[in-house]
Amino acid sequence: MDGDLIHKILDYASSKSAYAEVRYMGLSVNQLGFRNGEFQGLSFSSEQGYAIRVLNRSISMGFSNSSDWNKVKGVVDRAIEKSNFEGKNQIYQGKAIKDSWKVNVRKKVEDFSIEDKVSIIKENDSVMESSGASVRVNSLTDKRIKQMYVNSIGSEIQGDISRINYFYLVGVIEDGEFEQSVEQYGSSSGFEYIDGLSLPERIEQDINDLHESAAAPRINPGKFDIIVGPEISGIVAHESCGHPTEYDRINGREGALAGESFLTGRKLPMKIGSPAVNVVDDPSMEGSFGYYTYDDEGIPSRKRYLYKNGETNEFILNRESAAHLGTESNAGGRSASWDMEPLARMSTTYIEPGEYKFDELFAGIRRGVYINSFTEWNIDDIRFNEKYVGKEAYFITNGDISGRVRRPVIETNTIKFYSSVDAVANDLEFNAGTCGKGDPMQGVDVWMGGPHMRLREVYLQ
Amino acid sequence: MSDFDLDHILKKLKEKGFDDYALELFSSQTEQVRFSGNSEDLYNNWNQTTLVIFASRKQRVVSTTVRDPASLDSSIQLLWDLSGKIPNNPAFQGINPDKQKRYGNRKLKGQDYDLQDFATTLINSALESGAERTAGIVYNRKHNITVKTEYNQCSYTTGGLEAVIRSFKGNSSGQEARHFGLSTKVDSSMIAEIGRESSEPLNHNNTPISIEPGKFDVIMSPYVIGNLISNSSDFLSYYSVESSLSCFADSLNKDVSSKEFTLVDDPLDSSGVGFRACDDEATATRKNTLIENGVLKGFMHSYSTSRHAQTATTGNAGIITPHAWQLKILPGKKSIEEIMLEMDEGLLINNCWYTRYQDYRNAVFSTVPRDGVFYVKNGEIQGLVSGIRISDSIPNVLRNVADISRETKNVKWWEEISASSMPYVLSKKIGISRAF
Repeated sequence: MDGDLIHKILDYASSKSAYAEVRYMGLSVNQLGFRNGEFQGLSFSSEQGYAIRVLNRSISMGFSNSSDWNKVKGVVDRAIEKSNFEGKNQIYQGKAIKDSWKVNVRKKVEDFSIEDKVSIIKENDSVMESSGASVRVNSLTDKRIKQMYVNSIGSEIQGDISRINYFYLVGVIEDGEFEQSVEQYGSSSGFEYIDGLSLPERIEQDINDLHESAAAPRINPGKFDIIVGPEISGIVAHESCGHPTEYDRINGREGALAGESFLTGRKLPMKIGSPAVNVVDDPSMEGSFGYYTYDDEGIPSRKRYLYKNGETNEFILNRESAAHLGTESNAGGRSASWDMEPLARMSTTYIEPGEYKFDELFAGIRRGVYINSFTEWNIDDIRFNEKYVGKEAYFITNGDISGRVRRPVIETNTIKFYSSVDAVANDLEFNAGTCGKGDPMQGVDVWMGGPHMRLREVYLQ
Repeated sequence: MSDFDLDHILKKLKEKGFDDYALELFSSQTEQVRFSGNSEDLYNNWNQTTLVIFASRKQRVVSTTVRDPASLDSSIQLLWDLSGKIPNNPAFQGINPDKQKRYGNRKLKGQDYDLQDFATTLINSALESGAERTAGIVYNRKHNITVKTEYNQCSYTTGGLEAVIRSFKGNSSGQEARHFGLSTKVDSSMIAEIGRESSEPLNHNNTPISIEPGKFDVIMSPYVIGNLISNSSDFLSYYSVESSLSCFADSLNKDVSSKEFTLVDDPLDSSGVGFRACDDEATATRKNTLIENGVLKGFMHSYSTSRHAQTATTGNAGIITPHAWQLKILPGKKSIEEIMLEMDEGLLINNCWYTRYQDYRNAVFSTVPRDGVFYVKNGEIQGLVSGIRISDSIPNVLRNVADISRETKNVKWWEEISASSMPYVLSKKIGISRAF
């Protein structure tokens, strides 16, 4: 099956619906993993299918991976029948677009040998072992997606996507104390991404940090001026800006799952924090893990300012939530597989860099903590009350780093966090993640990032 | 009727030269209705056939997922080609060769329900019980599963109905997320009861109460303890023990919880959607006692991990990574009302989510309570608490179990709670943190 039924499905569904669309996705995934120096196995899958969405008195979807027209027709008929039950029936339609796009790749994932993939992981595992990690888990995944989207308005979009993902978990024991690190690197590109990562050096540094952190003192709880690193800026941008501005949370559609938003029912725009903070979601950033030119609903992507100058500015919208809001979709519709509905999702979410140099952030901090990365984190279901436990962290005394501190905890809320920011550095780094949402769960590839930032008077425990 | 001929596929794998293999064929029909704001958002239906092929060649382990029969030959050829290029997995000890004498209930059949009618019933019953708005999901799943190896073949049907509803009133919320296996015929009155129960927390005393962080006695609802047990069950997998990532690693036959606490994995209970007649290598499943009266009695095993541990497989394969199917904490003797009345001071927590670990090895975690967090004094709810976390370790939560209710619920919710049967559990001196 290569999508050859797509127009026949659309014609049939359109003839019986006020609006119809069909998405064909072919998805090839390869994954291999090591645990504590032992190869675990190689898995691969190649699957493809159609997602059909129809709108009448309500919205229905059907999914089929058959190339037998009669079986596909049965799925479409069922969706049409069910769409005549009363329910919500608004969807942003927009104008017809015909286009194609692809991720630029230098080393194609399908040309990269299994031996080379094994070699990459073996080298990293070897570095972990020689650095004293007693727990070592590595996995490497590559993904190729070919997609076609058509709808009854006349759109026809073809996409060709390639993504690479490296995951590791390491743990060290120092004098009986355990410390762990979980890291993920990903990009929309070919295997040239791995070449440029210098993973062995990053891993060695990470493990050295764990050894030192395991032996470091805990903090005496109290208020501190703090500097957070890009990894923390990124997770904050993702959790307490990206998620609460997904409009299907604001309008309650995700209420029984990942929850709603602290913005639900608020008068907007709402002041979130310091005017020094701008938070962006940008799917059009080439090379980013969540990169796309068109979303999975055929809408052209663009950069979106979610928080601007410390206030709410724009929401993440797919076709359904845009209709609910009475506006245009801004290309937030993403689906993790051919058999899942498109939801309002993030891509690359980051806090914009400011004008300070990194060193300048330390000036004027008499008693503080620099938290460069995190381990445990979580946030409540309206994305307001959040916790970040520091992984690599240091005391600051009179503007200088003065030794490590173990697992300092920021447990605060979104308004307090963004309001405490008084200086934003001019650097910018990204981390990869797999963002979960929806039922069935859809993990989509994202980047999270930001600069170093200084926050005043933050309670640490 | 599947397009995959498992006998033929097995023969092909053998002819190709693989020395071990397992086939798992899923034919699934799934319907779903999503709703929010008291009306339907979307109807979904899936009708899919999926074949998972696991194969090994001198311990070089490969697996693939095939959905299109036309690609079967090329997939098998690719499995063979790739298996010649990868290292071996010394932990893999083969597929269970022992002939299985009998499998659990294989006569179950999928049932038809009008999910749109059930969704309407859920919404209306919640609204009539005090909710202002609702959101939720109703599923009906039917999975025909066949697992075939060189040594055994097992076919069975599983699935059932799942109903999730969250009810809101002002800033308060309540939630129910229940499952019914194929041996239970669900009717509208059962669905209406779930809707009513989701609204119960909305009608409690919701006077805002602020608490300072510290140690509290906590009554955990079936959803809270279900979340913690679901999220920590991998620590009872022998794979985690071998990975140096289990807080139970050195605890076999030792006390890991108070004597009130017994945890079993019961995949043969077809009243839940976690029913399975066999595992991924066609070993017959069974009811396994993991923790009995506080003592760790065993880990979950596949054939391979059982060989490492010099014990028998427990029928929990995942061939590489054994895992739980349907966990149950056995009920106690008191009612939840009696446990509440006996509480001098503490918290009643109805739900939680986003459980994350800062230390897998010692199971140090925090989780975020939601859907009704109540401060209890002298046996009565005094008001509503917000902005807190349970911040503790799994071993500490288990060691401090003081009481378990006789009521249990079949709970399953999204990615947070696996299909399980859970009571209310009172655990004492549990760490509570809050945001500043």
